[in-house]
This record gives sequence, structure tokens and C-alpha cells, in this order.
Amino acid sequence: MLIMQDVKKIFRTDLIETHALRDFNLQVTEGEFVAVTGPSGSGKTTFLNIAGLLETFEGGRYELDGQDVSHLNDKKRSQLRNEKIGFIFQSFNLIPDLNLFDNVDVPLRYRGFNASERKKRIEESLERVGLANRMKHLPSQLSGGQQQRVAIARALAGDPRFLLADEPTGNLDTKMALSVLELLKDINRNGTTIVMVTHDPGLAQQAQRNIYVRDGKVSEMGDVVELDQAANG
Amino acid sequence: MFTYYLRLAFNSIKRNPILSALMITAIALGIGASMTTITVNYLMSSNPIPHKSEQLYYVQLDSWSPYEAANDQNEPPDQITWTDATNLMKAKQAFRQSAMASTGGVIEPAGQDEKPFMASIRLAFSDFFHLFDTPFLYGSGWSDSADSNREYVVVISKATNERLFGGENSIGRTVRVVGKNFRVVGVLDEWVLVPRFYDVTTGPFHETEEVFMPFYMKQELELTNGGNTNCWKSPEGEGFMAFLQSECVNYQMWVELRNDDERAQYMDFLNNYVTEQKALGRFARPLNNRLSNVMQWMENQEVVADDAQIMMWVSFMFLLVCLLNTIGLLLAKFTGKAAEIGLRRAVGASKTDLFNQHIVETAIIGVVGGILGLGLAYLCLEGIKSLYGEFVQNLVGLDLVMVACAIGLAIVSSILAGLYPTWRACNIAPASQLKSQ
Amino acid sequence: MSQWEIGPIFRAMMRNKVGAVLIAIQIAMTMTIVVNSIFIINQRAALMERHSGIDEANSFYLTSTGFGENFDPKSTTQNDLALIRSTPGVVDAIQINAIPTTGSGWSMSFQVEPGEDKQDEGAAIYMVDEHGVNALDVNVIAGENFNANDIRWRPKSSRNWPDIVLITKAMAQSLFPDTPWQETVGKTIYISQTEPMIIKGIVDQIQAPWVGWDDLEHVVMTPEITQFSSTRYFIRAEPGQRDRLMPLIEEALASSNKQRIIRGLHSIEETRERSYRGDAAMIKILSTIMVVLTIVTGLGIVGLASFSVNRRKKQIGTRRALGASQGAIVRYFMLENFLISTVGVVIGAALTVGLNMLLVNLFGLNAIDWYYIPSGMLVLWLVGQIAVLGPAKRAANIPPALATRTV
Repeated sequence: MLIMQDVKKIFRTDLIETHALRDFNLQVTEGEFVAVTGPSGSGKTTFLNIAGLLETFEGGRYELDGQDVSHLNDKKRSQLRNEKIGFIFQSFNLIPDLNLFDNVDVPLRYRGFNASERKKRIEESLERVGLANRMKHLPSQLSGGQQQRVAIARALAGDPRFLLADEPTGNLDTKMALSVLELLKDINRNGTTIVMVTHDPGLAQQAQRNIYVRDGKVSEMGDVVELDQAANG
Repeated sequence: MFTYYLRLAFNSIKRNPILSALMITAIALGIGASMTTITVNYLMSSNPIPHKSEQLYYVQLDSWSPYEAANDQNEPPDQITWTDATNLMKAKQAFRQSAMASTGGVIEPAGQDEKPFMASIRLAFSDFFHLFDTPFLYGSGWSDSADSNREYVVVISKATNERLFGGENSIGRTVRVVGKNFRVVGVLDEWVLVPRFYDVTTGPFHETEEVFMPFYMKQELELTNGGNTNCWKSPEGEGFMAFLQSECVNYQMWVELRNDDERAQYMDFLNNYVTEQKALGRFARPLNNRLSNVMQWMENQEVVADDAQIMMWVSFMFLLVCLLNTIGLLLAKFTGKAAEIGLRRAVGASKTDLFNQHIVETAIIGVVGGILGLGLAYLCLEGIKSLYGEFVQNLVGLDLVMVACAIGLAIVSSILAGLYPTWRACNIAPASQLKSQ
Repeated sequence: MSQWEIGPIFRAMMRNKVGAVLIAIQIAMTMTIVVNSIFIINQRAALMERHSGIDEANSFYLTSTGFGENFDPKSTTQNDLALIRSTPGVVDAIQINAIPTTGSGWSMSFQVEPGEDKQDEGAAIYMVDEHGVNALDVNVIAGENFNANDIRWRPKSSRNWPDIVLITKAMAQSLFPDTPWQETVGKTIYISQTEPMIIKGIVDQIQAPWVGWDDLEHVVMTPEITQFSSTRYFIRAEPGQRDRLMPLIEEALASSNKQRIIRGLHSIEETRERSYRGDAAMIKILSTIMVVLTIVTGLGIVGLASFSVNRRKKQIGTRRALGASQGAIVRYFMLENFLISTVGVVIGAALTVGLNMLLVNLFGLNAIDWYYIPSGMLVLWLVGQIAVLGPAKRAANIPPALATRTV
């Protein structure tokens, strides 16, 4: 479960205050595949950052997997990110100096798994995205689609409850984008909750549920009624 | 194009002020330290008489004990005995020659108010002034006959002339030294020798003496021994003459030999002389006579202090570390400029253009670092003066050669340091940096 | 142990060798210079700490040089000594031919058996009267001091010697290595190969005049006063009286006899400072070089680490997003630096020994003690860790949200 109630986020500079999120309300249930869409600047990346515990927020309440995360310190938030959340980024964010094995290894190290456990998980997750035979390659030796598959393997290796994807196909051509999407759907079918931020309505339609963000708020659209009920209940 | 590169370089340096300052400081420190120690070593090892250092030879005779060598590795003693000094002078087998010794004595100025003072005295022969081309302000050295006739004549230094006669031409005037009246025959001009090569037995960087007088005054006036006196056996008998005739060494001997033939002939003469002396029961050791020209002798006497050499090598390593530092920082800096370099290549800059652009930038850092390093070296040399005291003052002057060397060293070393980072920067592919990640 | 990303850090480093190698070499060379410098500094400091044996703080000396036909060395010395010894504030005074730390003096060879080509030991000669022991502040620890009847006048150019001597304990031990030093009193030693001298007493410790001499504590005192036109007086003052007495005695001597000049008035402290000036200067210069070099290397590491942080911003943000705590990021950079430093200090250890060997061969320095090496390694490791701490903390402050920002 991922529940946000009246979450606010304000960016301040010397001159202006920007309300990136205002009274943002959202509930994602276990096993869902939710797409968050909206025009650029609408606050969807801010939402993703807050949902992924990458940023703090000013007001409201955010509950992740039954735990109130509003006032956690950095260390605790890092630990939660590591255990519960997998990230997929638009530009893959693989570490260029590390080979595929070491890239997938990164979050597992922070998790504190022992070497054999890490090896097992790395091999399994790379197997799952079909790149087990290229473990010693560097990211620069792979195509964009393959790189994103590695990123997905990295996100999955720690068995997170949630997968947060930020424009996962934004840097890919159509064919590669489709295959990545199929992979995500497959992952969702196996029980991982996915929240995907995208500006592409076509892509969004592939999700079970669409949420439209505008001016830092969730707009009435799609299964709004259901959402309201959840919020009230 | 060059001015354009200059402008780019200045912009680039200004864009990373802390980093640029760090690089310039590193170069300045390395250059400063190296220049300081190079200067000291350069002056210590400088040739004090370049125009004839190859023709002047220091004479060593192995008159030492039958049981052990005077010095390690069978080196003959570094001075000769009175007996040998006078014998060699009588033989007069070289083009020019002078035995010599140092002593000291009280000078009593003529004026009643003037206090007597202690003066350093060099005992020498008339050839001394020709051997070493001493500069004369007034008059000249004494004549050959003054040596053999034991005339009471002196040559005095410029400073002594000022002290005694107010700097006037004092030729023919009388000066009272060690209780005797001497006639002034010559006044030297400023005479600075670094090192004072003709006698380094008590250290190479003493000043030239205040008074010069004929060698035989040693015997005539029973003058005290200056410098070092070493004996392998005690004098036989009592009294001053017994000491002079002993096997104690306290005298230096220089000869001028104009070519290899003369040198070979003189060496033969020395060997014959020693063989004759052996017949008289002296010179128990095997033949081991030496003729060393000025620079050989300076080398033999290790005129350049160990500490100065150690410091020079340490400062070279220091410079190397500073340069490695600069290489690392330049590398980082140029890598940080990868996007700009990619863009320039994309709009048509050739590798050569980029190379020139970055070498100019590197050279500017080098020049600025070099100039600062020079200032630093100047300060360091002042510091050395205060640490070691006045006696090193002739060793810590920066001359034009050194200044040029410093700037040259700075530019060369910073360009060397800049080559690899620049080469790496130029090899960035034109397009690689344009694509967003 | 899984948080210690040694494997991945090392593999990542191998793809960016140049930067790492540069730092490693810098650390190695810095260590080489620093450790050798500290070693030289300690050696010099140990030299400077040696005690000359005399009352350094309260003693001074001056030279009297007579001139003119009527100058009489004997009466001058007698009058001078009487004058100085009766001056209030003076503990004692002697005429002496040479003084510790001054750098000029007489040395002679002594042997236990008479004759040519026998084992001998060099020693400095101090010619003193019965006040010598008190003025020089040494103790007779076996046998007896000279008495007034032992003292002779030594004429100019004399080559023979008194028949009794005091020698230092160190000299006794060198001459008679198999005899306890207490038992050497009364034994005969030979000067000038054949001239016998009987050891009247052993003094505890006093240095020869040449601070650079190997046998610095080989000293023989002979009971005589010189009759030379130029002589030295050594004066030991009561505590706190030295500076007052120095000009006073100089003036008193100068005005008591116009047939001589008084010169070379120096305190022992000043002389000691001059004698060790080269060592003191070497210590200061090497310390400066060492400190500056360490700072330069440290700043170099700061600079390179900062750049590396800037270059890896995105990567750091990603790591944070993937669950790295701030501590984990700091640890990453510290560990990376530690690995580089380790390579550096290992090379440094080899270079340090190499440079030391070179210095031993070229300049006759001592071989370095082993514990300097691990200490040096530790110091350089620390320098690296301290230098990288700032950039590492800045890296840790890179927000995790950077990961989702499209550059």
C-alpha cells in the first residue's frame, strides 16, 4: 500500500515559491500497475521523488507499506528505499565504470547480503531480463534497451514491493520501448506494484489505472471515485 | 589565433579560480624550492677562476706515515710540509708557483685613537698575484727578490686600505703588522672568490685575506700556524725551527702549467724530487704525488656541502610531486571540459587547434607559477642567509642565469606536466559529448 | 563486510587508472621525502642534544692577543687570571688552549704501548691548571685533580708534555677496553708515540671542540699554562651573572694592559648555536619542506577527489536512490582513497628505503630504523583520509533526487 494524503511540496528560491505539489492525494494498492501522467512541470517527477523517498515534503502524510514515512531521518529513508523500492530511470543511470554484475550488485551491497546471496540474486535477475551471458560487459557495450533491462534487473534484484519507473522508455525507440513495457507488465503479474511516471498517453494506457497530475494535484479522471472512497475510508 | 588562445586560457583559469590557484601554487612551491637549492649548489660548485682553472694545479705529495695513509683510499695529505714547500719553490720548475700558508696578526694603525685589530694574513710568493690574477687598485705584488731577500713588504685588501688609510693610494706607506713595520706595495681591489679555492682546509667559503706578505716571514717572525696543522710524527727537538723542519703539513702549493706537456714534466719533476727525498730517509710511502686542477681539487675537497646536495635532491623530488599534482589537476580540469572540447571539435576545431589552446593554458600556469617561484626562491635564499648566517652571503645571490633558469624550468616542467592531460583532452571524440546521457 | 565495496571500487578504479596512479605516486614520493626528512631531522636533533659537559648557560670566553716588543705573556696571564677570579660573580676562570663546541683545537694520538705503528686513540688536548675542573664544571670521578704544583708553564713551540694527565671516562674506556675505567688511574699512556704520561684522574664527561668528530668525548687534560702571545680565557659565572660579566671583564682586561687586544668575546650558548647552525638550519628547512609537501599532496588529493565527486554526481545520486545512506557514500570515497593510498604507501616504503640507501652510500648517513617505515605509512594513510573527508562529505550531500533529473 502506498498512501499520500494532502502532501505538499514547495520549492523556494530567493524570489519565488513554487508549489510543486499541493494537497496531493493518492492511494496505490498492492499489486497495481499505475501510470502517472501529466504535462511537463505538472509535478509528476516531484511526486515520484517523494514516493520514492528521494525528497522530503512539507505537509501532509505519506504511508508506505503501512509505515508512516513523513518524519524519518535520512538513514532510515535510505534503508527503506533499499528494501522496499526499486527504481528505473529514464536515462538508465547505470554506473559506467562498473560491469553489469557490479551494477546489479550496488543495491544488494547496501542491503547487507552476503557474497553468495548477492551472486545468486544478481545471476537470477540478469537471467530474468535475458542478459545473464553478458555479466562482465560494461554498460557502454550495450544498446539502450539492453541497458534499461540491466537497470530493471538492478531494481528487481532486492525483491522490492514497489517499482518506481520514471519515463522508463523515454530514451528508447518504439521497438525497444515495447519490449521494456512487456517486461514491466510481466514483473507486475508476478506481484510487484509498479508506479510509472510518463508523459506518453499511449504508454499510460497499458497500465491498469491512470492518474493525471496537473498543477501539483491529482485531477479528477479515471478511477477517481475509487480513490475518493479510499481517501475517505 | 594566439591571442584568442590567450583569452580562452584566461577565461578557463578564471572559471576555476581555486583549482588554478592550487596548480600555480604547486608549481611555484616546486620551482621555488628547486631554484633555491640549485642556486646554493651552483654557487658552491661554481668555478672561481674560469679563465685559467685548467692551468692551475694544486700539488700533493705523499709524505705521510709508513704505517697508514693520510686519508682514506690512500689519499696523500691535503697539504705539504715546510721543507717540501721551500724545496719546490727553490726548484722553480713550473711556469709559475707559489707555496702559501695562512696566519694572523695584530695591525697597529698609525693614529693614536685607532685601536689595534687582528688581521688575517696570507703568506705567499710573488707569483701568487699572477697565478690568481688578483685585481689591483694601486700598485702591484712584490718582486721575486723581495721573496728571497725577506723584505718587509705587504699587499693589503681594499677594506684594510680603507680602514688604515681612508682609501687613499697608500703605496709606499708604512703599516705595522705583528709588531714590525711593513711597506705597502699593492692594494687589492674588491676580490671575492666563491669558493676561495686556493685554501679550503678550514672550509671553502672564507673571504680572501686582509694582508698578504712574503712567505719566508713565517720563519723570520715565527708567525703562528693558521688553518690546519697535521703531523704523523712529532717534531724532533724543541723550538720553532724544529717545527718548521718537521713532517707536519700546514702549507698549500699551487703551480701554473700551461699545457699537458708542462704538466707531465712537472709531474716527472715531483716524482724525481720525492725519489731524491727517499734517499734522505723521508717519504716512506710508495710514490703517490698528485696534481689537481682547480675544479678537480674542489671536487676532491668536497666543496659542495653534503647538506646542500641532499636538499637539492629533496627539492627535486618535491618539484616532481608538485608536477604530478599539477598533472592530476589538469587532467581533472580538462576532463571536466570534455563537453566544451567535444563541441569545439564538432564545430570544426582540429586536434592541433585544441592542442595549442590547452598548451597555451598550461604554459600560462607555468609562467605565473615560475615567476611566483622565483619570488619564493628569493625569499628562501634570504631565509637561508638568516638560518646559516653571514658566511653564506656569497652563496645566496640570484643572478640573471638563475632567473632565466627558473622561468625556463617552470615553463618546461609545466608544459611537460600539461602534455598528457592535453593529449587526452584532444582525443575526446567530436560528438561523444553532445548527446545527452 | 558486504558494505565494504572493495572489489567494485577496485574494478572501477582500474578503468580510470591515470588519476589513481598519479595520487598513488604522489603519496609514495611524499612518504619517501617525509620519512627520510624526519629521519634526518631526528638524527640531527640527537646530535644537537648531546651535552658538551661544561656549564653552557653560564660560561663565556675571550681571546687576548699581545703585540709589541714589551709584551710579556707570563705576567699578563697571571695578572689577568687574578683579576678575573677576583671579580664578584665569577665562579672560576682558567686560561685554556681550546674550548668545547668552538670547532678549533689540538688533537694528539695516545697509545698504551710505546713505539711506532701501535694501536692509538686520538683525543683533544685541553691545557688547564688546577682550576680547570671547577671552571669547566666537570667532576673527577676517580683519582685526583691536578694541584698547583703539577702546573707548568708551556713555552711557545714546545713539543714535550707534562708527565701527568686527566682523561675522560670515554677515553679511558677506549684506551683500556678490557680494564674497568676506575682502575686505569695510575696507568701510563704514551703521547708522540714514546713520551709517557701517567693518568692522575678520570673526569666524567666533556666534549672535544669539534662537534662533528666521531670520538667527541675523547679528551685529555694536561696541567699547563701556555706562554703564548695569544691566549684564551674561559670564565664560568654564577647563574644570571654571565651577561653582566661579559662586557665588564672584556673592558677590565682591555684597560689593564694596552699591549694586547681583547677579541672574540662569546658566550658558550652563542658558540654552540653557531656550531650547530648547519644542523639547526637543516632541521628547519627539512621540516618546512615536509610540511609544505604534505599540504600540497593533501590539497592535490582534495582537488582530484572534488573533481571525481563532480564527475560522478549522477552516479552518487543513483547510489543514494538505490539505498546508499550518506555514511555509505562517505565510506565509498574514503575506501577508494584508502585503496589508492595503500598502493602509494607500499611503493613509498620501497622508495623510502631506496632513498635512504642512496643517502647512506653518497653522504654516509645512517641506515633508517625499521619503525620509521610503518609510521610513515600510517601518517600518509591518515593524510589521504583527512584530505578526502571534505569531498566525501560533499558527495554525501548530493541529493538522491538528482537521480531522476535528466541532465
